[in-house]
Amino acid sequence: MSITEVDFQAHGVEAAQEAAAPVEGRSQWQLTWRRLRGDRVSMIALGVVVLMIVLAIIAPVFASITGHPPNTAYPIQGENAAGNPIGPFTNGFWLGTDSTGRDLFVRILYGARISLFVGVVTTAIAAFLGVTVGLMAGYFGGIIDTLLARLTDTVLAFPYVVLALALAEAFGPSLTIILVLITFFSWAGIARIVRGQTLSIKEKEYIEAARSLGAGPFRIMFLDILPNLLAPVLVVATLYIPQAIVFEATLSFLGLGIQPPTASWGNMLADAQNFYQVAWWYLAFPALFLLITTLAFNLLGDGIRDAMDPRTERLIAARRMRGRRARARKRAGSEGTAGGTGGAGPDTNFPDPVRAPGGS
Amino acid sequence: MADTATNAARTPATTDDNVLVRVENVVKHFPVRAGGFVRHTVGQVHAVDDVSLVIERGKTLGLVGETGSGKSTLARCVAGLIPVTSGKVIFDGRDITNISRRAMRPLRREVQMIFQDPYSSLNPRRRVGSIIGEPFIIHKTATGAERKRQVQELMERVGLNPEHYNRFPAEFSGGQRQRIGVARALALRPKLIICDEPVSALDVSIQAQVLNLLADLQQEYGLSYLFIAHDLEVVRHVSDKVAVMYLGRVGEAGPKDDLYGHPRHPYTVALLSAAPAADPDTAAARHRVILTGDVPSPIDPPAGCRFHPRCPKAQEVCSREEPLLVPYQESGAEPVAAGAAATGAAATGIVGGNIHLAACHFPVADGETLASVSAKELT
Repeated sequence: MSITEVDFQAHGVEAAQEAAAPVEGRSQWQLTWRRLRGDRVSMIALGVVVLMIVLAIIAPVFASITGHPPNTAYPIQGENAAGNPIGPFTNGFWLGTDSTGRDLFVRILYGARISLFVGVVTTAIAAFLGVTVGLMAGYFGGIIDTLLARLTDTVLAFPYVVLALALAEAFGPSLTIILVLITFFSWAGIARIVRGQTLSIKEKEYIEAARSLGAGPFRIMFLDILPNLLAPVLVVATLYIPQAIVFEATLSFLGLGIQPPTASWGNMLADAQNFYQVAWWYLAFPALFLLITTLAFNLLGDGIRDAMDPRTERLIAARRMRGRRARARKRAGSEGTAGGTGGAGPDTNFPDPVRAPGGS
Repeated sequence: MADTATNAARTPATTDDNVLVRVENVVKHFPVRAGGFVRHTVGQVHAVDDVSLVIERGKTLGLVGETGSGKSTLARCVAGLIPVTSGKVIFDGRDITNISRRAMRPLRREVQMIFQDPYSSLNPRRRVGSIIGEPFIIHKTATGAERKRQVQELMERVGLNPEHYNRFPAEFSGGQRQRIGVARALALRPKLIICDEPVSALDVSIQAQVLNLLADLQQEYGLSYLFIAHDLEVVRHVSDKVAVMYLGRVGEAGPKDDLYGHPRHPYTVALLSAAPAADPDTAAARHRVILTGDVPSPIDPPAGCRFHPRCPKAQEVCSREEPLLVPYQESGAEPVAAGAAATGAAATGIVGGNIHLAACHFPVADGETLASVSAKELT
């Protein structure tokens, strides 16, 4: 027993050394956020996404500043003599007008409301369904897995544009049908990813430990497995939002989504294609907003994925570049003194990318 | 409970008050399924085949054997984590064989496990306080501040700094993580802790600390251990009784001094000779029994004695007749009573009891050298 006493004493010393360090452990989310903050591209993408959300929320403010409600046509100020749209920054229309003389900028902001709403809501519902189905299939296995996995495969096998067109035609175009359609085609991909992850986590010893403590299947699924799934699901969800936005635009473009006069990027683009020869802005600006928004979401999703896995090549390369630049600046300051440092030298000074962000 | 009563009546000779766990003829087969459109069973993995043993209160039963010998499967059967194919597991007088999860729940407090891999046995997303506190939540034995106090008390008891309550497992070393696992297993004050290779993933210096902690806890709380390892010296250090498993069967068992001092089964002899000796002079003088070939597939285990294809003493009878576990005295390679096997193992001793048992047609005598090479020739 004396050995154990020694052990306790040894441990006491160790504890004393650690006393200075913060006792609160850093969670995975805190670490991810720290790494994400260091990634310039992701932060810009995040800024764009936040800006877009804010613009969509305060769209009515711009409507009242410009004095142009989204669905009001201005045949006199908003159209030229030939009855065509007028260009940007004329007559108080910041981005010009559309074919019936409505304020293009205000309508784009109102279109952003639809796009972001559809993107976020469908992805949230799809993530919920996908996680539920994937968890069940992966954890219970057997006949439940077979049924759910086949259902998932079936959904993924549908030619979705054709089916979406048929359904929208059959039930009549509306916001509800768009939400249902996009959700229906999104959950399966998430379910498949979650199922695969669940299968691998299920074999971990801590799941067996939970079972040996007497935890039931739902407790294990939601308290032990789910927290380990949030990271991949978050990444996938961020990448599904732009897909849903584009899908909504596609349906609206084809006349089966949001119906005019309600503004949507899709139906604006559909109308704009008849006018692009006389009014390039009518086509360009909605398209630009769509492009920037989807690009920002995609870059943010990639950034989050990289931040969750610190070994990612891109972040390491970016850090290395920054380090090199900093050293180059230093060297430029003291020209001539750094004689023999060539070749692989600089890379060895580079801090360990895995450990550097954690700091502990 | 009536079932338990009749069961106890059937085997009166072995129903002692000091027996905590009784495993009777436990068999665990895993089906081997072939893929394709319709899945069908093409064979059975004979993970555990007809094993009976007892674990005495406050004592440690060591289980040794190489990878795939069925030790971990047996442990999970005892813990009620996987259903057994046939046979019985009786815990503290209650038959817990294949009972429902709900019925098992109160028993979870009494049987706990410590796992091999301290990295995979703690959920990386949960803080230590939550991991050790989980048993209290599941069994609703303590809440809020009281739970935190008890968790910190446990942390202190296993040699962790209670201040580290809010840390994540990733912030601890392997040995500290294993202490977290010990604290979690200890939380419900169990009677039996199943240790599934608790130290094989740790550094040797840390192994001793964890083993000593387990020994202290055993004294303090009167715990019984089922201790699984493939390191013979570790098992010798912690165990009172030792059983050697090979391909799902117990080949030899007995009090540790009998088994280590007078091994009767050629497999035990080979295992012992394979363990490295610390002293180089001793090591050079020793003879090592080199087993040829690999462990046969447990899907289609050899007929007769399962060890016969690799046994240096095997003869024709070994491939025909399965040897039974029979008792041996300290000296002499002859069974105590040659005909005792006919009366059944229960009457002549049981694995985990005080009698030295071995299942071999041609047991090894003390001092006998098996077909072997000396360590010098090896190098």
